[in-house]
Amino acid sequence: MRLLLSPSLLVLLGLAGCARNPDLVIYCSLDQEFSEELILRFARESGLEVRAEYDIEANKNVGLATRIREEAGSRPRCDVFWSNECAQVVALGEEGLLQTYDSPSARDIPADFRDPEHRWTGFAARARVLIVNTQLVPPDQIVSMWDLFDPRWKGQVAMARPLAGTTNTHMTALYLALGEKEALRYVETAARLAQDGSLNLVTGNAHVMRLVRDGQAAFGWTDSDDFNVAREAGFPVAAVYPDRDGVGTLLIPNTVCILASAPRAEAARRFVDWILRPEIEAELARSRSAQIPVRANVPRPAHVVGPDAFRAMKVDGREVGRTVRQRTAELQELFLK
Amino acid sequence: MSRPLLLAAVVAFALLGLAPVVVMVARVDGADLHAILAARSAALLGRTALLGAGAALIALVVGIPFGFLVARTDVPGAPLWRIAGVLPILLPPLVVAMSWAGMTTLRGGLATTLVLGLCTFPLVALYSARAFERVDGRQEEAALLAGGLRAALRAELPLVLPSALFAACFAFVLAINDFAVPDYVSSIGPKWNVYADEIFASWRSSRDTGSAVASALPLVLLTALALWPALEMRRRSLLTSFSGDFRAPGTLRLGFWRWPALAFVLAVLGVAAFTPLGRLVWESGGGARGFSAANMQASFARALELGRANLASSLTFALGAAVIAVPLGLVLGHALERSGTLGRRLAPLVLIPIAVPAILFGIGGIALWNHAATGAIYDSGWMAVLLFAGRFLPFAVLSCAAATAMLDRRVEDSARLAGAGPARRLVRIVGPALAPAVFGSGLVVFVLSMRELDAAILVPAANSTVLFRLYNAVHFGRDDFVAALALLVVFFVVAPGLLWTLFARRRLEILP
Repeated sequence: MRLLLSPSLLVLLGLAGCARNPDLVIYCSLDQEFSEELILRFARESGLEVRAEYDIEANKNVGLATRIREEAGSRPRCDVFWSNECAQVVALGEEGLLQTYDSPSARDIPADFRDPEHRWTGFAARARVLIVNTQLVPPDQIVSMWDLFDPRWKGQVAMARPLAGTTNTHMTALYLALGEKEALRYVETAARLAQDGSLNLVTGNAHVMRLVRDGQAAFGWTDSDDFNVAREAGFPVAAVYPDRDGVGTLLIPNTVCILASAPRAEAARRFVDWILRPEIEAELARSRSAQIPVRANVPRPAHVVGPDAFRAMKVDGREVGRTVRQRTAELQELFLK
Repeated sequence: MSRPLLLAAVVAFALLGLAPVVVMVARVDGADLHAILAARSAALLGRTALLGAGAALIALVVGIPFGFLVARTDVPGAPLWRIAGVLPILLPPLVVAMSWAGMTTLRGGLATTLVLGLCTFPLVALYSARAFERVDGRQEEAALLAGGLRAALRAELPLVLPSALFAACFAFVLAINDFAVPDYVSSIGPKWNVYADEIFASWRSSRDTGSAVASALPLVLLTALALWPALEMRRRSLLTSFSGDFRAPGTLRLGFWRWPALAFVLAVLGVAAFTPLGRLVWESGGGARGFSAANMQASFARALELGRANLASSLTFALGAAVIAVPLGLVLGHALERSGTLGRRLAPLVLIPIAVPAILFGIGGIALWNHAATGAIYDSGWMAVLLFAGRFLPFAVLSCAAATAMLDRRVEDSARLAGAGPARRLVRIVGPALAPAVFGSGLVVFVLSMRELDAAILVPAANSTVLFRLYNAVHFGRDDFVAALALLVVFFVVAPGLLWTLFARRRLEILP
C-alpha cells in the first residue's frame, strides 16, 4: 500500500500545479497546426496569459460547441470561440449565447461574411472543392457536383458522411442554393448510391483526400485545405471549383465571436481585433491550410485562388446556421440506415 | 471490512462513476423516449447486435484455443506468445482497421466483424488461459488416462466455458460501442452503419441534450443485457474451477501437433498484432514513398519532439487515474465479493460507468464539475484524472473482486481472530495477497486511460493528451509522424506490464 501511496502523492501534487488563471480563454476548432502559432503570437504581443483549447477533426466542431452550451448553463469559462466554419456559430448566436461586438478590424470584410447584428465575423475561408486524381481522370472532365453520380465513375467517387463538419454545412447550404426539390434529389441520390457502394461514404474530408491522393478513388468532395495538404506533398491531384455556370462553389469562412457570458470580455475584444486584421488573413493564405482571404485586396500565393477564379455559391450563412440542425436530422434519416 | 473505509469508497464511486451518468439521464423526458422508437433505429440496433455477436463469436473461436495453447501446452515459445497475445487489445482498433484496410479489399460488415473480433480475442484468450490453469491436475490426469487429450479437453471445456463467455460478453460490449471501425472499414463500397453512429449524429441534430441522451439508451440497454449475464458467468467460473485441495495441472505434450499449433498461434498474432505494428513501423520509415532507416529516425525524432509534452500529460493523467482507482477497486471489490448475496445484487451498479457511451459520460463530467465550487478542479488536469478514474473504475473493482474470490477466507478470519482490524487486514493481509491483481487492475485503468479520447475530448485538460495530438495529425495525412507517435503510445502502454512480467516473481493478473 505504501508503494501505491507514494506515486499517488507525487501525481496529486503534480496535478495541483496544473490550474492557472488565464487572462483569456479561447476555444478554437481551426486545426491546432494552423491556429496555435497565431494564438501564441497574440499572447506574446499582448502580454496576456492566453489559454487555447482545440477540437479534433474526428469531433467535427461538435465537442467545443457542446462544451460551450453545457458550460453556459453552469459556469461560463470561454471568452472567444474561433470556429473553422459558420453553421455552429450562427446556431450559438440564435440561441442567445453570443454578445455583439463591431470590431474596427472587420470594417473592410464584405457584408456577406458578417452578421448584421455583429455577433460574429467571418474571415479566411475554405472552399468546398472536388479533389481529382490527375492520373485517373483529367480534371477538365469534372465540372459539376452532379458528376459525382455519373455512372462512368461508379465506385470511384467519395464524399464524407454529411452528418457533421463542413460536408454537413455544405449539404445544408445546397437546400438554400438549389431549392428544396433539387437539393433533396442530390442528397437522396448520394444516400442511395452509398448504400450500393457506387459512392464511397467516408469518415471525413481528410479521408476523401487520402483515398483520392492514393488512387483508391478518382475524385470526391473535400475542403480546399485538405486538397492543399495533398498538393504540397507532391501527390498527383488537382482541385475543381465546380459549377461555374450553375450553383457555384461554397465558401466556408472561419468565424470568430465573443461569448455572451465571457468572463474576460475586454481581452476577448482585443483578440478579435487582432485576429481579424488583413495580415492574419494573408498569413493563413500562406500557411499549409491555404485559406482563401475574404477581402479581395489581401495578398495571396499563386496556389490560393482569388474570387475571380470561381463562382461563389450565393447562400446566406445565417440561414445555413438556422437550418443546420433540422437538415442534419433529415440527413440522419437518409444516411443512417 | 472497515465501515468508514467502505463508506468513503462508495461515496467516491458514486461521485466519480455514477453521478456523471445520473445528471445526464435526469434530463430525459417522455417525449425524448418516444423519438427513439423509430423503425430505422431498430434496424440499426439489430445490425449492431449482430456485429457484437459476430465479434464475440470470433473472439471465442480464436481466443479459447489460443489461451489453451499458450497457457497449458508445450508449443514452442508459449510464454512469449502469451505475453504477445495481449497486444491486440492494447492497440487502438482504428489503427488495426487502417492497417488492414490498406492491405485487403475486404470491406463492410464482415470486415468490421473480423477486425473487432480480432481486436477483442485477447480478452477470451486471457480468461480461457486462466481457467485452463485452474483445472485440477489430478482430474486432468484421470481424463488423460481414460481417453487422452480429447477426453481431457471434453472434461475441461465446461469448466472453461463460463470464463470464456464472460470475456466474450465484454468483447460484445466493446464491439457494439465502436463506431470508428465500422465507419472506416466501410469507407469503400456499400456503407455499413451502426447504432453508435446514430448517437454521435444525435448530438449534432438534437435541440436539447435530453433527446441526445435518450438516443443512447437503446445501446446502453444492449450493453447492460450483455454485461448482466457476464457477471453471472464470472461468478460461476470462479466457483466451478477451484476446489479446496487444488493441484496445479502440468504442461500438456502435443508431440508433432505442437508445430501446427505454433502455426495457428503465429497466424493469429500475425493478423491481429504483428501486421498492424509492422505497418506502423513501415509507415514511420516513409511507407509507400520510400522506406528508409533515416526516415524512421527522423519520424521518431519529430514525434518525440512534438509529442513529448503530450506523452507526459497522458502518462500523468493515466497514472493518476490508476492510483485513484486501485485503492477504491480494492476496497469495493473486496466488499462486493465478501458480502455474498448483497454484493451480487449491487454488482450491476458497478458496471454503469462503462455501460454508457463515452460522449455521454464526458458531458456528464462537465455538468457535474463545472461549477464555482469545483471550477479549479474542472480547469486543471484533475478533471481528466477524475474522468478516467470514474469511467474505468469498474475494471479495478471487478478485478479485485475476482481475486478476492480466490483468496482463502480463512486467512482473513485468522487475522481477525488475532486482533487485526478491518483496515489493517485489508492493508496487511488482503492487499499483499492480491498484489498481482491489484497491480493488474491499475494497469488496465492506466492502459484504457492512455487510449481514451471520446469522453476526454470534451474536458479542457484533454487538449494536452497524446491521443489528441495523434488524431489531429491523422487529419493531415502525416502518415510517418502518426505511425511513429502511435508506436510510442503503444510502447508506453505496454511498458508497465512488460516490466512486471520481466522482474516480478508473481504472474500479473490484469483482468477481472
